[in-house]
Amino acid sequence: MPFSVMIVDDSPVMRGFIRRVMTLSGFEVGECLEASNGEEALACLKERSVDVILTDINMPKMNGEELLRRLETDTRLRSVPTLVISTDATKARILKMLSLGAQGYVTKPFSPETLREELERVLGDRNA
Amino acid sequence: MPEDLEQECRTEPDFGATVIRVAADVLATMFFEEAVPSECAHAWLATAVSAHIKFEGSHCGEFLLSVSPDTTRSIASGFLGLDPEEMTATQPAEVVLELANILCGALMSTLWPESSLSLDSPTPAIAEHSFADSMHCCFTLPDGMVAVSIGLGGQPGSV
Repeated sequence: MPFSVMIVDDSPVMRGFIRRVMTLSGFEVGECLEASNGEEALACLKERSVDVILTDINMPKMNGEELLRRLETDTRLRSVPTLVISTDATKARILKMLSLGAQGYVTKPFSPETLREELERVLGDRNA
Repeated sequence: MPEDLEQECRTEPDFGATVIRVAADVLATMFFEEAVPSECAHAWLATAVSAHIKFEGSHCGEFLLSVSPDTTRSIASGFLGLDPEEMTATQPAEVVLELANILCGALMSTLWPESSLSLDSPTPAIAEHSFADSMHCCFTLPDGMVAVSIGLGGQPGSV
C-alpha cells in the first residue's frame, strides 16, 4: 500500500532528489506533499494528513527544530512519524532532534537503500 | 596563512585525506560522479560556478565550492535524474548550491564530530578571489574540475 509523504526542505532540487530516491529504492509513494519550511508544512498539514514527514533542519522562517516542537504540541500530528534528513552529523545535533520527537535521522550523503531502511523502521507496523 | 588557520592545520593533519574521502563519497553517493584528487591548476576558476557558505560556532570560517561549467551540468543531471537538455536554466546552479551544502556539512561533521556549528545557507560566489588564505583540494571528474576550499578565522562562539 502506498504511503503519503510530506517533504520539508528549502531546496527544490533536494525535495526532487528525495522524491526520486524514495521511488528508486522501491518505496511505494502515494501522495507526496512538499513545503519549503516548517511554517508552510504546518499550514498544509492543517488540512491534509500524511503517513510520514521528512524534514531538513536549516530552513528560513521556521526551521526543523521548531517544526518538531510544534508537531509535538499538536494532538493530531504528534503521532505522525518524523524523519530528519540533514547534512549535520554531529552527535549534539542528532540527539537534540531525537529529543524533540524525531523518530529517525538520516545524514547526507545517503543512498536510496539507507533512506528506505530508515523509512521502513520509522513506519514500523504501518509498513507491515 | 593566518595564524589560526596555521594552528588548525597543525591540529588537523588529516585534513587533506578527509576532504578527499568525504568529497568522493558525497559525489559518488548522491551525484553519481567519480572524483579523483588532482594537481591544483586554477585557470578554469574564472568560468566556474561557485557557492559559498559561512559557518560559526565551535569553529568559524568559510567554505567555498567551485565547479567547472561542463561538470555543473553533469552533476545536476545525475542528481536530478534528468538529461541535460531537460533541465531548466537555473537547476544546474541550484544543484551546485545543494552540493556545497551537503559537502560542507559532511566535512564539518567528519573533521569536528564533537563540534556545535551553525551553517548559513549557501550563496552563489566568485571563486577566483577566495583561495589565498584557504586549505583546499582540487578534483578531476569525467567532465571537468571541482575545487573545495575551507578558510578558518574569526572568534569561535556558541550556536
